[in-house]
Amino acid sequence: MVSFIDLIRNENMKLYKRTGTWVMIGLIILAMSGVGLFTKFVLDSDAHINWKEELKTENMQLESALKDTEQMGVGNDYVEQQLAINHYRLENDYPPVHSESLWGFMIDVTNLTGFVALFTIVVAAGIVANEFSWGTIKLLLIRPVSRSKILLSKFITTILFAIGMIILLFSLSFIFGSLLFGVSGVEQPHLVYQDGQVVEQNMITYIISLYGFNSIDLFMMLTLAFMISTVFRSSSLAIGISLFLMFTGPQLVQLLSNYEWVKYILFANTNLQQYTNGTPIVEGMTMTFSISMIMIYFIIFVALSWVIFEKRDVTA
Amino acid sequence: MENQAVVELINVKKQIGNINIIDDISLKVFQGEVFGFLGPNGAGKTTTIRMMVGLIGITEGEVLINGVSIKKNYEKAILNVGGIIENPEMYKFMSGYDNLIHYARMVPKKVTKERINKVVQLVGLEKSINHKVGRYSLGMRQRLGLAQALLHSPSLLILDEPTNGLDPAGIREIRTYIRKIAHEENMAVFVSSHLLSEMQLMCDRIGIIQNGKLVRVETMGDIVDMSKEATIRIHVEPLDEAFHFLYALYEKTDIEIEDNFIKISLKQEQIPQCNKALVENDFMVYGITSTQTTLEDKFLEITEEK
Ligand SMILES: Nc1ncnc2c1ncn2[C@@H]1O[C@H](COP(=O)(O)OP(=O)(O)OP(=O)(O)O)[C@@H](O)[C@H]1O
Ligand SMILES: [Mg+2]
Repeated sequence: MVSFIDLIRNENMKLYKRTGTWVMIGLIILAMSGVGLFTKFVLDSDAHINWKEELKTENMQLESALKDTEQMGVGNDYVEQQLAINHYRLENDYPPVHSESLWGFMIDVTNLTGFVALFTIVVAAGIVANEFSWGTIKLLLIRPVSRSKILLSKFITTILFAIGMIILLFSLSFIFGSLLFGVSGVEQPHLVYQDGQVVEQNMITYIISLYGFNSIDLFMMLTLAFMISTVFRSSSLAIGISLFLMFTGPQLVQLLSNYEWVKYILFANTNLQQYTNGTPIVEGMTMTFSISMIMIYFIIFVALSWVIFEKRDVTA
Repeated sequence: MENQAVVELINVKKQIGNINIIDDISLKVFQGEVFGFLGPNGAGKTTTIRMMVGLIGITEGEVLINGVSIKKNYEKAILNVGGIIENPEMYKFMSGYDNLIHYARMVPKKVTKERINKVVQLVGLEKSINHKVGRYSLGMRQRLGLAQALLHSPSLLILDEPTNGLDPAGIREIRTYIRKIAHEENMAVFVSSHLLSEMQLMCDRIGIIQNGKLVRVETMGDIVDMSKEATIRIHVEPLDEAFHFLYALYEKTDIEIEDNFIKISLKQEQIPQCNKALVENDFMVYGITSTQTTLEDKFLEITEEK
């Protein structure tokens, strides 16, 4: 038996021997540093010294807003939670997390997961289709290794690339953030409102969970691009369709959210944060429903890729 | 040992749409033998080879490699096959050596560094093995393709037009090398080409494929014998009588009248006899010209008559 690790090593070799891959990695590092430098040198720097005063005024606004909504007979969970958290901050002397701190910066950087998704789509779109366009698929397949194993090694390599990029983003933003903003205030917890009270949470855990939520979308787009790449053997088609859907999908779902059937569209389900803070796109959707939908889509994408790759006549 | 068929095609057919691209091909290649697969462009050589290595499905029939079916037990059957299919496309952004490492990792039995170096030496790529393949000439890529096919010491080597793009010295080198590995390492070699002249110097047997059908299989010896036949043109008077005379004399050969000449196919040693017979029977022989048939003519003859 050919060792599966060796197949993964091969795919990684082919991925990282190409300049394009390093350009993408470089761009991610550049974007991360850009966010840091912009926050440090362009944004207003001493706006948050009087945070206690600011919070008190904010609380007054929130309270009046709450009264208004109560008169209209609707509850406002979000405002209530925010109030509770603000009170907790004042009592325990925890200033709010702002962008010009290590944690604030690291939280901002989690938004760059979209960037990672973009590059992961490029990798996923090429990893099968390129073998066809280069003509190397012939020599790759005439080995004592089943086609499904070769495809799996490519799929896993793409996932490893995405995970690698996210770990890179996380660790570099930690290092870069400490250098730019110092480490004062790192002992601060993240505050969440849970079961009627404010709970302290480890900040690192919170940041990792942000990456986790963002990665669901990334993972599904990766699988979609991989599927198109395998079925149509065209990396540009795979990149085109995947990017188009990644950018327009969520908007489209918002637009059509009055229709019940929208909840069966992938993009209505990939943002699981709609259940942890906020309201679901279509009323009555639950976390379990979304996770099931994501799994169904995943199984369809993967099944299509495997069945077609397994059966195809290779005439490239 | 000599009688073990390394690869056997049994009534192999390939249908795409409604067209029979390959129509009922059966053949065997034995250990230590170089088998030439000869046919004009579009005859179906590459298609046959793709079926033999499992790149495309076999519509009907069976391909056995060392007795193992490529359809039913792919991984086991392909284990002993090395090949080049059409152009040897490799990863251009990697060095030749990295390309070989890539393929070396894809066999169950470990390919040692020594083996890789030995193969590199065999195909004469020592100087450029650490360069990027993107910088290789076509000939260098052919050599790297050959190296890749030999890495795991297969018992069957399948080469689709391996001398395509090589200069005469390169062609001779590859040819010598192919003969050597077949005979010394007892490997079976299946090599396709559309040039008979090339096959002539390399192969032990030749199968001729045309429009997807295997029209003949000959040993190289037989083909060389056939080529000893020459077509001669005799300027002789009176023409018609001479024609009937020769027609009676050489029953089995092709004979015809063309532009006031008699055109007849004869073996070399029959030419003086023919002349003597004509003179002794009072025909006026003004001249005999011989148009030597080459192997190439023979090949065209075989493929055109079908
Ligand atoms: N996918 C396909 N669909 C339809 N016809 C095909 C397909 N692939 C090959 N053919 C046809 O099959 C025939 C044989 O093609 P093949 O490539 O096997 O020829 P070949 O003998 O290798 O020719 P060459 O000397 O040019 O390499 C050709 O007529 C070609 O048009
Ligand atoms: Mg061909």
